[in-house]
Amino acid sequence: MTVRFQDVSVGEEIPSLSKVVQREEVQAYADASGDQNPLHQDDAFARSVGFPGIIAHGMFTLAHLTKALTDWLGDPSALLQLKVQFRAVVFMDETLVAKGRIDELDPATRQARLSVWAEVERAGERVLPIKNSTALVRLG
Amino acid sequence: MPLNPSLVGRRYQEVSCPVTREHVERFAEAIGERSPIFRDADAARAAGYADQVAPPTFVTVMQIMASAQVVLDQELGLDYSRVVHGEQEYEWRRPVVVGDVLTATPQIAGISARGPNEFLVIESQVHDASGETVVVARSTLLSRGTART
Repeated sequence: MTVRFQDVSVGEEIPSLSKVVQREEVQAYADASGDQNPLHQDDAFARSVGFPGIIAHGMFTLAHLTKALTDWLGDPSALLQLKVQFRAVVFMDETLVAKGRIDELDPATRQARLSVWAEVERAGERVLPIKNSTALVRLG
Repeated sequence: MPLNPSLVGRRYQEVSCPVTREHVERFAEAIGERSPIFRDADAARAAGYADQVAPPTFVTVMQIMASAQVVLDQELGLDYSRVVHGEQEYEWRRPVVVGDVLTATPQIAGISARGPNEFLVIESQVHDASGETVVVARSTLLSRGTART
């Protein structure tokens, strides 16, 4: 069920994946990952360091981006590398959209290199919590 | 206070994580992962995996344990209130499955400065019980405003 090398082309985008970031999920992520930083749990603490409320873990956002890749690939073993930069925070109730675009295809290895990023819309602006980031995948 | 650059190469105590079904369930639920191979052992086996598959970023659990040690290292001088997660890198060799026992010996792979900020790279080579590398994780923590100016 893996995406086949001959079925994709450079410049093509993978299906985007969106979700509304919910407080309960971020709390569950803190417990499941072990990252109990109060910045992700305690609104009063988050306000004390200049945010309007708690923010999602960078790794929470990255987990969503990774899911966009594995949903597309159909096989987690086809995901070989991921290298990301966290560039903006994500607030509760924002709609997080994970995206990717094929930049290079190598017929010798049947691997693809993608640009990947995450977007939210905030006050009419497009903000990128993850940008300048790449993934390397193996296609069938 | 700048970070102590002489600590590049320092290794910390081994961290270990037995990959339990309950933990994979909780992690998958928290990230909204509902694909059967991540939620159901039979579905995963039918797809050719040894057992229920952990989502690729499950190894975050080990990075959190690793960074807890690094943050507590008095010789490094990291002020955690100034730290943000700047970059993250993974090289996966195979998917993690329930029943794996993962270990890693975190290491400081780099300390550098750019403008007012410093960048601390923590590398964890994660191995399974047979000693094979499963994934290499590199976390870059950004220490805001601590560079020598």
